[in-house]
Amino acid sequence: MRGLAALTACWLHAGVASGQSLGVEVTQSVGTSSESISAAGTQIRVLGEALPGLRWNVEGAWATRSRDESDVFGTAYPYEGRAELMEAYGEYHFAPGRGLRAIKGGRYRTPFGISSASDHAYIGFLRPPLIRYGEYYALSSGYLEHGLDVVVGVPRLSVEASVGVSADVGPAIRRPGVNTVVRAEGMAGALILGASFVDTTPYMPERFARGRSRFGGVDARWMKGGVLVRGEWLGGQPFDGTSTTGGYADLIVHRPVMGPVTALVRAERLAYDAAPPRALYSHRYSAGARIRLWKTVAASVGIAHQAGQITQRRRTAFDVGLTGSFRQDYRAHP
Amino acid sequence: MISVLSRHTTARIFTAVVTGVALLAGVAAASARAADDEVSGVVRVGGRSQKDVVVWLEGVTATPPPAQDVVLDQRNLQFLPHVLAVRAGTRVRMPNSDRVFHNVFSFHDGKRFDLGLYPVGTTKAVTFDRPGLSRIFCNIHPNMAAYVLAVDSAHVTVSDRDGRFAIAGVPPGTYTWHAWRPGNHTATGRMTVERGRPVEIGWP
Repeated sequence: MRGLAALTACWLHAGVASGQSLGVEVTQSVGTSSESISAAGTQIRVLGEALPGLRWNVEGAWATRSRDESDVFGTAYPYEGRAELMEAYGEYHFAPGRGLRAIKGGRYRTPFGISSASDHAYIGFLRPPLIRYGEYYALSSGYLEHGLDVVVGVPRLSVEASVGVSADVGPAIRRPGVNTVVRAEGMAGALILGASFVDTTPYMPERFARGRSRFGGVDARWMKGGVLVRGEWLGGQPFDGTSTTGGYADLIVHRPVMGPVTALVRAERLAYDAAPPRALYSHRYSAGARIRLWKTVAASVGIAHQAGQITQRRRTAFDVGLTGSFRQDYRAHP
Repeated sequence: MISVLSRHTTARIFTAVVTGVALLAGVAAASARAADDEVSGVVRVGGRSQKDVVVWLEGVTATPPPAQDVVLDQRNLQFLPHVLAVRAGTRVRMPNSDRVFHNVFSFHDGKRFDLGLYPVGTTKAVTFDRPGLSRIFCNIHPNMAAYVLAVDSAHVTVSDRDGRFAIAGVPPGTYTWHAWRPGNHTATGRMTVERGRPVEIGWP
C-alpha cells in the first residue's frame, strides 16, 4: 500500500503528460448483518493509459469486520483489518485487423471463470458465491497471480492463458508454486459462454493437503432487456483424494419500471467430498436488491437462507450495506 | 484561314481561362466566408469559465450538414466524453474500448435503452431520435456516468475545459441561444454574431 500511495503521489505531483490519462476511484462500503457482524471497507483504484493501448491498473483495499465466522461481506476484498495491494499490472491491448490481442504482466486476479472485480463485487450484493469463498475447498475471490497473461482471438471468441505464482490475499493463501490458467470465451447474440481450467497449489498446509489443486469450470451469461441470467459451475480436486463440485445461478433484473432498483435472486450449492467427517455439503438461496440512492451512493439489502454444514451463525440471515463511490480524472484521454 | 481559326481559338481559350479564374476566386471567397461563418466564445458561471456546457442556437438559416455518427467511448471505466451533445436523429456509437464487459443503459428521461452486456472490441449504437436529455450509466460500474443531450438544432456544441466553444456554419446575425449544464441548469438568451467577434454566455 505504501507503494500505491507513493505511485499516486508521484503521478499527481508530476502531472500527467499529454495523451495520458489518470483516474482515481475511491469506494467506501459499510454493512451489517443479522449474524451480528458489521464491516467497513475502502477500495482505491488508480488506473490510466500511458500510451495508446498501454494501460495500467493499481488497486488497494483496506477492510475489517467485527467477526470472521461467516462469509458475509466476503466478496470484494479481504477483511483482514490491514491495507492490501490487490492488483497492480500493466496491459498492452491491440487489435490487428478485426483481431484481439492483449498481454498483461504484474499482479492480477486469477482469470478463472467470471473473475473480474466488477463481477465479484457485483453491484454491492454482499455475499460471494460459495464456490468463490476462500475456505470452502473451491476457489477464492482473493486468489491473485504474479505472472503473465495473454489473450488471443477476436472480440467474440478469445483464448486466455496465464502463468504465474500465487500472491493471494484473504483467508485462503495458496502454498508457493507455479499456477497455470487457461480460459476460452465466446459470444453469440446475447449469450456469453466461457470454459476455464486452473492447475495450482492448494491453500491448505502440505501435511493435510498433498498434490495439486485442479478445477475445470464453465460459465454463462445471457442478457436481454434488463434481465441478466448468469452462472458458473466447477468441479475438480482441492488436493489429492478429495473433490469439490458446485455452482451458482443468478437472475438479475433491472427494468425501466424499477427505476433505481436492481433485484437479484441466486441459487447455489457446494459439495466437498472427502473422508468423513470432513465432507461438506451446502446449498443457499439468496434474494437482494441494490437501490441507487443518489448518484454513486447505493444501498443494498439481502436475505440468505442456507442449509448444510458450512458455517453460518443462523440459517437465515439479513444483510444491509451502503456504498459510496468517488472518481476523479486528472486528464481525459484525447 | 488557319490564322483566323487560331485567333478565334485563342480568344475562346482566353475567355475560358478568365472565366475559370473568376469562378475559382468566387468559390475561394465563398469558402473563406463560410469558414468565417462561425460563432465562438466562452461560457461563464458566476464569472468563472465552465466546461461541459451544451450550447445550441435557434434560427440559423444556413443549410446544416447531414447528421453523422458520433462516438461515446468506454475507456478506463469511464464514458468519453462526459457530456455529449447531438442533433436529434443522430446515431451514437458506443464502443467498448475497455478490458471488461460493460452494460450501458439509460432509464430516465430522453432515450430509454439497455444495450446489455457486450465485450471488449465490440460496438453497439443508439439513435437519439427525439430532443431530450439522456443520463447514461453502466449497470456494472457505478462510477460510469455520462449525459447525452439531443437538441432540435444542427448548431450545437459543448464547451471545453476552459469554457470555450465554437459553432461552425453560423453567418452573422442575431440568434436565440440555449445552454445546459449538468445539474439541469438551463439558460436562454439572444446573441448578435459578428464575424471575428467572440461572444460570452452563461449564468450570472
